Amino acid sequence: MYIEVTGTDIYGNDAYKELFKGIISDSGTAGSIEKVKMSMDPSTPLFIISVIMKSKPESKRMIDAVSIRTEGKDVHLTITDENYAPQITSALWRMYGRDKVEQQTRFDVKIENGDEDRISETEIASGDDAKQEVIGAMWRILPEGIKARYNISEGRIITIAATEEIMTQPLKDKAQKMHNEVKDNLSAQEAEENV
Amino acid sequence: MYEVLMYDGGIYRSNELLEMIEDVGGVVLQKTRSAQMFTVTMSIPGEDREAMERMCTSIGGMVRNVPLAGTEIAVIGPTLGRHHMPHPVCDIAEALREAGAITVVMGLARGRGKATSQISMEEMDIINEYDAAVFMLGNFKSCVEAKKHLFEKIKVPVILVSGPRPDGLDECCEAIVHGVGRRTERMRTPEDMKKLEEISESVEKVIKEKKMAIDEDPLFVHPAEIKQLLEEYEPLKECLRPAPIVMHLDGLRVKVSKKDNIENISEMNVYGKKLGEIAKISESRINDSSMLIRIMTRSEMEDSV
Repeated sequence: MYIEVTGTDIYGNDAYKELFKGIISDSGTAGSIEKVKMSMDPSTPLFIISVIMKSKPESKRMIDAVSIRTEGKDVHLTITDENYAPQITSALWRMYGRDKVEQQTRFDVKIENGDEDRISETEIASGDDAKQEVIGAMWRILPEGIKARYNISEGRIITIAATEEIMTQPLKDKAQKMHNEVKDNLSAQEAEENV
Repeated sequence: MYEVLMYDGGIYRSNELLEMIEDVGGVVLQKTRSAQMFTVTMSIPGEDREAMERMCTSIGGMVRNVPLAGTEIAVIGPTLGRHHMPHPVCDIAEALREAGAITVVMGLARGRGKATSQISMEEMDIINEYDAAVFMLGNFKSCVEAKKHLFEKIKVPVILVSGPRPDGLDECCEAIVHGVGRRTERMRTPEDMKKLEEISESVEKVIKEKKMAIDEDPLFVHPAEIKQLLEEYEPLKECLRPAPIVMHLDGLRVKVSKKDNIENISEMNVYGKKLGEIAKISESRINDSSMLIRIMTRSEMEDSV
């Protein structure tokens, strides 16, 4: 993860770089972030964070996180991505009720009278959830008193601007400008990679 | 000359330790038991220190110097939000506890924000109940400087801890320690430990100055003597709160209701006088579950005669 910080307060810039690393790592979203650009201006105050995610967040279906087979009337699942284990079990409980879903081991689940196709196609995490996680972490990074916030989200890029004053159009324009710069750089980088 | 020490060890044979403190004419300032762990902060005559150390070692514990023993210090963050707690506020409080202080962690209701931060009169009154206050602010110099109104009217000594070194705040606080700002993890690295030591030393220096100021016009009795007296008071014996009696430099915090106990406590006999005559007893601004006893100085006593 590459982090670039610009701003008027040298100590604050370095400190916020470390804060970003710490909070993103705590939130478990570090793996989904490719690049970060932060502009810290405590005198206005206006703080802008622009994050490029590694891929456009997409929804996750059950089949992406389990291997599944039918034996007689029962369906057997083996969880292959344990990160989604809570979502998998809650989705199954919702669909069949707790008495029909038996978690035999940490990874193995048996569903009485289950439908393999229906289970496979069940959505366990939406793309929005991943994006919300990153936005939540970005909000946590921004100083607590800087309450007026403005979000821009486009494809893989999320930009958040925050100020303590009223979020006026010139401040929003600054955020949009940084968002566009990050977007242009990303497009140029993608074009280079394709060549 | 009395020395303040802390025994840190197990509960095993601790009654022998308590007996020895009594035998040498010492005083137990604080006694804390947590499961099998036992810590005792004591004040004993300097000439008995060696014997006391031998005793502590023989029962499997160790002895530490505790320069902040007998003080209660507030460590204050701008809010109790996850932006400011638990690190590094709790790490600082822990470092002060290791130096013998009783600490209280506080978050202001509206301490966040550069232009919107505020402190209420009630919050200031609560902070003024402690022996000193450590204010923990953030990473931006201009923000730290803009928040001086949070502590400039506090009457007790203030130690400011912030990321960058702020300018123009030397008159508003007794000490400034910079290099510790907002962070997400515990202060565990050698540099962090050094910073915590620096904060602890700054607090010690400030407390020492306050002690010297008190010595110029000494208290009528030492708070430890009132503590000994209060330890025999039944409602305090029954009090289940941790540290029901907390010593301050100029008095004590007693964790029972003033409304229900003021009559009994102010009637207690101290060297032929009533406690109510030699101390000002008031209710804590936190709530009525504790009261403050501020012992009058000798000159105040003379004036009152």
